[in-house]
Amino acid sequence: MSDARIDGYARALFEIAHAEGTLDEVEDELFRFARSFESNDQLRNTLTDELIPAEKRQAVVESLLGGKATATTTQLIGMVVGSGRGRDLPAIIDKLVQRASSAKQLEVAEVRSAVALSADQQARLKAALANATGKQLNLKVVVDPSVLGGLVATVGDTVIDGSVRSRLDNVKSRL
Amino acid sequence: MNFLNLLAADPAETHHWLLPETAEIIYGGIASVIVIGALAKFALPQFKKFFAARTERIQKELDASANDLAQAQADASKIRTALGDIASEKARLMADAQAQADALLKDGRARLASEVADMEAKADADIAAAAARGSDELRTEIGRLAGVATDRALASVLDDATQQQLIENFIAKVGAGR
Repeated sequence: MSDARIDGYARALFEIAHAEGTLDEVEDELFRFARSFESNDQLRNTLTDELIPAEKRQAVVESLLGGKATATTTQLIGMVVGSGRGRDLPAIIDKLVQRASSAKQLEVAEVRSAVALSADQQARLKAALANATGKQLNLKVVVDPSVLGGLVATVGDTVIDGSVRSRLDNVKSRL
Repeated sequence: MNFLNLLAADPAETHHWLLPETAEIIYGGIASVIVIGALAKFALPQFKKFFAARTERIQKELDASANDLAQAQADASKIRTALGDIASEKARLMADAQAQADALLKDGRARLASEVADMEAKADADIAAAAARGSDELRTEIGRLAGVATDRALASVLDDATQQQLIENFIAKVGAGR
């Protein structure tokens, strides 16, 4: 899909969530769903399979998110998947997150962790990253077991890698 | 007078019984001269001519035979020469054929030796490449298995306390970074 079309979808989702007054929550849910979509091959194949009718794909989204995410989030993802743009869902959501962060004059900080972070840890991490980068941040935490341990923070083009995975890779490359 | 009358005649008669009458001798002599003259005039030239022609024909035949003999001898000489040439040509052709066969054999042996050398070199290179590839694949597989084993070992070592400690260390390090 072209960037213009991705932008168009992202803008539409943003406006809907903004109009609903649930932008922060929807944005966070969409972000986490996008990361799950990227890491789960079965989910990605199911939601992007053109041979599966749109209604069934939307039913899959409903069964996955129903009761776990806001209705707005479920409907937005269902709309994108139903329109046959499931393959571009992560890019659309990333654009939406950027747009939402820009609206709040924040920079997106994506943090990958092997385990979930507590609210206190997220607050202190956000403060520490803001201190390190000099920017106001919109922190997005992704639980990623491949990190093994520690954290990987990405703010714009800056990557701060304190993961066990990277240390292990360094050792392997030296060997 | 016939012969019986002569035998019956009396030898005492004047004319001798053995000798012919004189007139008879004269007539006989004249007739003989005439016959001989006629023969000399008419038959002798014919005989001479006949014998001359015969002599000439025999001479021609002798000459022809001599020519034929000479021609035969010349032809025999040519045949002998030709046979000699054929023998030498045969020898030359045999020598050429032998030379060509030797050259072909030499080239064939050289080409065969070269091809065998190339094949041996290629086989050596293939064996070396296969060995290297096998070694590389083995090394890669060992690395992959080591990575998997390390990941599993780390996952078992990284308990919750260690995970929290790593997170806290990261936050502290980033917070103190600026």
